[in-house]
Amino acid sequence: MTLHSETYDVIVVGGGHAGTEAALAAARTGARTLLLTQSIETLGQMSCNPAIGGIGKSHLVREIDAMGGAMALATDAAGIQFRTLNASKGPAVRATRAQADRTLYRNAIRGMLEAQENLAIFQQSVVDIDIRKGRVEGVLTAMGLAFSAPAVVLTTGTFLGGRIHIGLESHAGGRAGDPASNALAARLRALPFAVDRLKTGTPPRIAGDTVDFARMQPQWGDEPCPTMSFISDGSEHPRQVACHIAATNAKTHRIIRSGLDRSPMYAGEIEGVGPRYCPSIEDKVVRFADRSSHQIFVEPEGLDTHELYPNGISTSLPFEVQFALVRSIEGFGQARITRPGYAIEYDFFDPRGLEPSLETKAVSGLYFAGQINGTTGYEEAAAQGLLAGLNAARKVAGSDPWTPQRHEAYLGVLVDDLVTLGTNEPYRMFSSRAEYRLRLRQDNADLRLTPVVREFGLVDADRWRRFEAKRDAIGRANAALRATPLAPGGELCLRLEARCGEAVAKETNLLDYLKRPAVTAADLVAVHAVDADIPALALEQAEIQAKYDGYIKRQDREIAKVRAQESVVLPAGLDYGCIEGLSNELKEKLSLARPATLARASRIPGITPAALSLLLIHAKRLAGRPDGSAPAGAESEPIGERAARRTA
Amino acid sequence: MPTVDTIAAVATAPGRGGVGIVRVSGPLAREIAQALTGGKLTPRSAVYCDFQDADGEALDRGIAIRFEEPQSLTGEDVLELQGHGGPVVLDMLLERVLSLGARRAEPGEFTQRAFVNGKMDLAQAEAVLDLVNSATRQAARGALRSLSGAFSKRVHGIERELLELRVFCEGAIDFPDEEIDFLSESDVGERLEAVRNHLSALRADARQGALLQDGLNVVIAGAPNVGKSSLLNRLSGEDRAIVTNVPGTTRDTLDADFDLDGMPVRVVDTAGLRETGDAVETEGVNRARRAMAMADVILWVVDDRDTSGDIGEKPRARGMTDATATTIVARNKADLSGRTTGRLSPGVVRISALTGDGIDALAKEIQHAAGYRAGEGMFTARARHLDALASAGEALAAAAERLGANQGELVAEDLREAHEHLGLIVGRVSPDDLLGEIFASFCIGK
Repeated sequence: MTLHSETYDVIVVGGGHAGTEAALAAARTGARTLLLTQSIETLGQMSCNPAIGGIGKSHLVREIDAMGGAMALATDAAGIQFRTLNASKGPAVRATRAQADRTLYRNAIRGMLEAQENLAIFQQSVVDIDIRKGRVEGVLTAMGLAFSAPAVVLTTGTFLGGRIHIGLESHAGGRAGDPASNALAARLRALPFAVDRLKTGTPPRIAGDTVDFARMQPQWGDEPCPTMSFISDGSEHPRQVACHIAATNAKTHRIIRSGLDRSPMYAGEIEGVGPRYCPSIEDKVVRFADRSSHQIFVEPEGLDTHELYPNGISTSLPFEVQFALVRSIEGFGQARITRPGYAIEYDFFDPRGLEPSLETKAVSGLYFAGQINGTTGYEEAAAQGLLAGLNAARKVAGSDPWTPQRHEAYLGVLVDDLVTLGTNEPYRMFSSRAEYRLRLRQDNADLRLTPVVREFGLVDADRWRRFEAKRDAIGRANAALRATPLAPGGELCLRLEARCGEAVAKETNLLDYLKRPAVTAADLVAVHAVDADIPALALEQAEIQAKYDGYIKRQDREIAKVRAQESVVLPAGLDYGCIEGLSNELKEKLSLARPATLARASRIPGITPAALSLLLIHAKRLAGRPDGSAPAGAESEPIGERAARRTA
Repeated sequence: MPTVDTIAAVATAPGRGGVGIVRVSGPLAREIAQALTGGKLTPRSAVYCDFQDADGEALDRGIAIRFEEPQSLTGEDVLELQGHGGPVVLDMLLERVLSLGARRAEPGEFTQRAFVNGKMDLAQAEAVLDLVNSATRQAARGALRSLSGAFSKRVHGIERELLELRVFCEGAIDFPDEEIDFLSESDVGERLEAVRNHLSALRADARQGALLQDGLNVVIAGAPNVGKSSLLNRLSGEDRAIVTNVPGTTRDTLDADFDLDGMPVRVVDTAGLRETGDAVETEGVNRARRAMAMADVILWVVDDRDTSGDIGEKPRARGMTDATATTIVARNKADLSGRTTGRLSPGVVRISALTGDGIDALAKEIQHAAGYRAGEGMFTARARHLDALASAGEALAAAAERLGANQGELVAEDLREAHEHLGLIVGRVSPDDLLGEIFASFCIGK
């Protein structure tokens, strides 16, 4: 018996980075959207370290921005130290990283949520999901309120079945200070999703007024200060501050070793798998025993708090060991801990149970985004949230789902990796995961995505106007460079040769000359080879495109091949067990992953060209049947129906 | 599925035939035709012309026919070059086609494309699956042979060196905030040079055939004392095996190479298959079974005088091996049974290894078995491995050039490509495997 009920197009459960982008995206497309959160105060909360971006991650943030999302704008409004990473390397692998003031960040996100049309926010914890006949119908809250919608996006982060460990003590919890969502976890565990456990951790936080910064090395942000959003100019940034670099020492490591017997990881209390790339300090000391020191980035939590986040000493050792290890560090001799470090274990659902749209295969209209899918990181969560919110709204509107391909966006790589390969550790983006990273740059995320998603209603008029201006300027720059001939011995040629040391042997043009490693757009400007009215940004784009041109053309062939494989649909009912010639290992992997296309199958580890041939022939054979039916013995019942029966 | 790459292979049975055909299928067929014949070919009409090499010199003279999609064997643009059949000329012609952008066809690939493009009806689907399965097994056996021993060790060694190099380059890109500057602390240039040297040394050795065995692998098997060793000597024309009338004389595998009308054949003699208490002989029997697993053709030798019921049964049917190779039953010792030699039925030949009677018929049967998959790239395992090594070498050369220009992300891209090519031989390394190596090598993470 429900006391109250309301109807929406899309309901988003959870107000973290995935939930807020999901709600904003759905509402931007015009869907009537409800965001349900346990606490309005923690909307947009950065629950781990106070930083946004990094290699691979800022690429995602730029993509979110290019699609009209909130994360980059909030970062520009809250960032208190900005750096360009890999500045000495090529543009494809450059990235932006920002320290953010937690409060400013939350405020910025909340401001955007409140200003968004079509979006209602309500504070209530969700305890049940209404599923009938394999379709989602709505959600039920702790108070017994019913909200119905044909599409629901779950972004519950680490709250599902969360368990916090400090030393050998443990208790249920979503993250420090918040309750876990155990009722919902129990409900979801009853659905036909494969559940597993992951682990992550945080370091103890430190009171900055008890720290001797003079004993640490300061690290200031870059000048001029970079921005995260394509439409920011830097004037949004608050006051900038420094981070500091500290280091562990031999004494710290002795203290850690003496406490290992009380570490939940080493005492076997934790079943979840932690990330390889973000080990706890006790892990680092054990695994890299020859290292006498590990560096710590001491990050400010905000402008109006002195609390510090010592990035690099995540730990779940007992508090007294944490206390001693912190105090053994140079500069932390008198440091006071404000919050203990802890490890948290939580449920996630095998993302191989998802469509590339992030809709669950088992329940129509139900979408998962963020840590619930086994990822880690604000950026990974936000990007999935945006995609899930968009696709939920599109489904309700009767439109086809959309997901970028691997050569179109880091978001495409992220989703494809998840739904095809699953994960056994918290999945984090790295640039080495993107085989087409030379084209997936943070400088061209808008060129790649903005025109596409504008069709979906994600891009507002102001952003579009700026985008068009930029695109036109790049077009003009390219045309001007191509139209400027460079003849050996010519006056312009001599000036350029003198400046760059690159000889011109036969007649060429500026664009081709710019392809040479030693020649830069700045050189062209310096010798007045181009019109002064072409913006520097446009020239820079022209240069990057020219420099990577050969490689990108080579990749085009590879992409065309994948595209062709993408067009071969592997029927959902394909019985891999019956395909003669496949190894048992592959049969098992394919049955688990159920790749939607031949291209996805090609990315399953261990797959061979011969196995792909077999799949191709089987797919064609099934597709060619006069009635389109699967052969006898194949699974013909839609999975959704089975799910409905189980929940009935 | 729209095809994007162009495949090519010798489409006639290996050996010195009268006519040899190189078949090309895919979008580049027209361009390749133009480059080879120096003119535009009218679809579906045969032209007698020179096949030109890169300098315009004639490689061979023969008939070229071009077919346009979808009216062709595979449903794609197809080019057929009918030349003079000798293995050397055909190889040169194929290499020329490959240099124009085609790649060597996988086993069964022409047939597969024909099926996918609707050139065969559904009723033929099972047959296509059979062919691909069998061609795949054939190729797997070829690869197994070519990957055994020294070659495999060296490819794996190079792959490992390349992986370590990539760990440094990718680590430097993905973890710039770590304390180690991977690129400057390691000598990437020297390591790259070392990988390139090892790769070219391997290519040189492999090209000489010192490491890779090619050709048809024929394994002689059967019960003890049915005349297997005599047959080896007879086929190879030399006295490799000791022949006695004591059962179990051959305790190890013995092999000999010979030329069957231009088709290279390696023939392997094995220990007689029987249960025995002798440890050495048992090991010999095990080796015989392994040799059968790698065989393209098994010559199952039986004594023609043996009248027991299952004598004509092939070893697989009798559960003596699970090898999938084509099997020919050779009923030996016709000199003693006194019956007429020659082909009795498909796959069954009566011979006398002692006198040589019936050996010609047996040789024809072997050729038939080998030619059964002609044109489906049966003998290409070694050639494909060499192609992969060559492509990896080119990518490494590009990496070295980019390193000189200090373009780290392009070095990484070239190394990735080189690694993909080696992956075709030793199995692909996924980005996640690479990340795992980075995390195992360096203490990453805040």
